[in-house]
Amino acid sequence: MLNASYVGRSLPTTDPVTITAESVSRFARSLGLGETESVPPTYLISLTLPAADPLIEDPDFGLDFTKVLHREQRFVYHRGLRAGDRVSCTVTVESIKTVAGNDLLALRTDVTDDEGLAAEVWTTLFVAGGGA
Amino acid sequence: MSAFTELRAGDAVFTASFAVERADLVAYAEASGDHNPIHLDEAAARAAGLPDVIAHGMYTMGLVSRAVLEWAAEAGLDAEFGEFSSRFAKPVVVPAEGGAVVEIEAKVRKAGADSVELAITVLSAGEKVLAPARVTLVANRPHTA
Repeated sequence: MLNASYVGRSLPTTDPVTITAESVSRFARSLGLGETESVPPTYLISLTLPAADPLIEDPDFGLDFTKVLHREQRFVYHRGLRAGDRVSCTVTVESIKTVAGNDLLALRTDVTDDEGLAAEVWTTLFVAGGGA
Repeated sequence: MSAFTELRAGDAVFTASFAVERADLVAYAEASGDHNPIHLDEAAARAAGLPDVIAHGMYTMGLVSRAVLEWAAEAGLDAEFGEFSSRFAKPVVVPAEGGAVVEIEAKVRKAGADSVELAITVLSAGEKVLAPARVTLVANRPHTA
């Protein structure tokens, strides 16, 4: 069972990373998208999921990643990002709901660049048997 | 911006179909950094209670983004994603032999002067795998960084 006292808690903001042209083009290629400098719409997941690693590795939180399925995903883009932009991620535990012995864990990640909030990324994970 | 004004709520705007093979999931795992073995290895998928290897939900969502971008380019919309959401209702099961097919159908949900919201149905093996996906495209905003 997930530790509900984490709701509302944010992880420390990650150090800024540069979005490399190589990572953008590899991501675009894997989806059959043409060559682009613009970051593909779903690219940010490759930054936001690793940003949540400290939560997965935190024994007090109690998240067993082998029991996790991706349930919902939502992106809000405040501006288009491009290769070369530098961004940081701040992950917040938005909610934990227990339904029929399973947990639904909602995370929000704010993606910020030099100008402020560039995108918001919500990920809801289904954690099997978490509440049993 | 004129192309936006030609869109009406309820219009069916495009369909797309993509074949998915195991090798595509390997490439996506490498590109995205999501190496969860249920997307790569039959034994791991079965141990997790799945019938076979399943596509990353984010791979399916990525294919939807591709279909939308290809349609927008063809329709002459100078637009970018403002919002993109979906719920992963059923897995896309990808057998080693023959793979899977993902079928995408988009309708206009709301049309504005400089934005359009699409409701997108995504099927694989006759099941709705996304329930449903929604994309809001907005007229291109200048990049200022």
